[in-house]
Amino acid sequence: MNITKVKDIFIKELSIEFRQKFALGGIFLFATTVVFIVYKSFNNINPREWTILIWIIMLFAGLNAIVKSFLQEKKETYLYYYTLFDPIDLIVAKLLYNFMFLCVLFLIILGVMFIFTGFPVKDYGLFFMGSGLGIFGISIVFTFVSVISAADSGSSTMMSILALPLVLPIVLLLLKITTVSVRLLVDTAIMDDVMMLIGVDFILLGAMLLLFPGLWRS
Amino acid sequence: MNGFWWKIGGALIFLYVLIGGLVIPIKPGITSVTPSNAKSGEEMSFNVVGYNTHFLAATKVRAWLKLDSIHAISAKEIQKITENEAKFTFSIPANFPVKEAVQPLSLIVDNDVDGVFVQPNAIFATVADSSTISGEAWKSSGIGQFSVVKGIKFPYRNILNETIRNTFFHIALWFAMFILLIVGVYHAVRFMNTGDMIHDIKSASFNKIGIMYGVFGLITGSVWAKFTWDTFWTSDVKLNMTAIAMLIYLAYLVLRGSSSDHDRRAKLSASYSIFAFVALIPLVFIIPRMTDSLHPGNGGNPALGGEDLDNTLRLFFYPSIIAMALLGTWMSQLLIRYEKLKEKVLLKNQ
Repeated sequence: MNITKVKDIFIKELSIEFRQKFALGGIFLFATTVVFIVYKSFNNINPREWTILIWIIMLFAGLNAIVKSFLQEKKETYLYYYTLFDPIDLIVAKLLYNFMFLCVLFLIILGVMFIFTGFPVKDYGLFFMGSGLGIFGISIVFTFVSVISAADSGSSTMMSILALPLVLPIVLLLLKITTVSVRLLVDTAIMDDVMMLIGVDFILLGAMLLLFPGLWRS
Repeated sequence: MNGFWWKIGGALIFLYVLIGGLVIPIKPGITSVTPSNAKSGEEMSFNVVGYNTHFLAATKVRAWLKLDSIHAISAKEIQKITENEAKFTFSIPANFPVKEAVQPLSLIVDNDVDGVFVQPNAIFATVADSSTISGEAWKSSGIGQFSVVKGIKFPYRNILNETIRNTFFHIALWFAMFILLIVGVYHAVRFMNTGDMIHDIKSASFNKIGIMYGVFGLITGSVWAKFTWDTFWTSDVKLNMTAIAMLIYLAYLVLRGSSSDHDRRAKLSASYSIFAFVALIPLVFIIPRMTDSLHPGNGGNPALGGEDLDNTLRLFFYPSIIAMALLGTWMSQLLIRYEKLKEKVLLKNQ
């Protein structure tokens, strides 16, 4: 793995993203609209619903955002990358970029939710640590699945079919951690769940790094 | 005929499990004891309803109420009503050898046809005078020298009753499913290494049969749950995790069906199945172990073994796993041959 190469790809992704402002704006508009719809239909959201809604909104907004990461590029571009980069560098850069993107998206959703519905979280440390780890896991799954669906048919339908069942275990752990951080539930062994989230992240990361080079060659 | 013996073997073992598992009777047991409360110093008769018992056919029926390993009282009078119903009269001593005000007593029944059977904590005795501790009345019960009965029978468990036979099908299906899925992943890894299409066909076939076993496992489990937990689906962790696992593998089937380009499809589905299997490990093995569950082996319940899987059950349970795995392999082989033929026809037409 070459750190400078990873950095280069990361910066390239970022500049492409900012060049296509409509795509970026579209995702944030999507997030805001969904939060607003949810707010208008519930009117008064209690912490229980808040924990569930925030992750459902995050999941679907994130899915929309990541679809582009491999789908937006043309076949020729891939051929060009192939001569230029090591696959590990490419996937690590894409993953880091997606992770950062999802984190920003999450903060924006949190912000909009804060304005409309309030912020019931009591244990900030646990909430942000759990969310960070969970988003890392989600970005691993989304990145890997976007590679598969890009190579398959380039359709975003495939992406959601493949990605949603795979992120379910992560989302279940996240829901539990969020519920505890909102103090709806008291669980002294919540650190076990956090450790499990770390474990799941590492397992998925390892599997992705092992499988991607073979996939990419096609 | 080459490689034919294990197919016959699988079918025969399955037949053995099917016949043995359904024909062998359940051991006698006690379904209910009424009333379930007693007071010290009184003479009380309890109506005992048994299951698979032979009170009338037995010549010598004995019964005890047991407090602990050395203290017990024997029944004063036994009145047989039907084969499965009898009235036991005990005179409960006024003094207990322990201090607590309420004591659980286990009912032990022994006869020469059924052997000995127990209902733990059948009766709760209230001690009127718990200050006097005396074990005198409890010592001369003559408990012991139970009748020995020949022949094999499955253990009787309250709630489970006859459904204990589902052990051979429901649990064995899960074991066999894991064996098949592991073979599927092994071939996916081999495909990623060699790029040989035969591994892709093998991997897909084993995964498909594994998924089928998974669905069967869910169905048998659901029916079992209806009879023991009184609902087809509960929010038990293991059920939810399995549902997720099945969803992941169903997405695998969608992926395989989506692409018409064989080489690309092979590569994509192989890497997805490895990724899915990796994601499956925490799902099925780790998370359920850490949270409460109604299943044995989770949340403080005893795992396989202990009282739930005794030697008579083992006699059919382990062969059942082997039989299911062999039959699954057979089915996968049929699928593999079918896929190979399809490939051949495809090449000929081009």
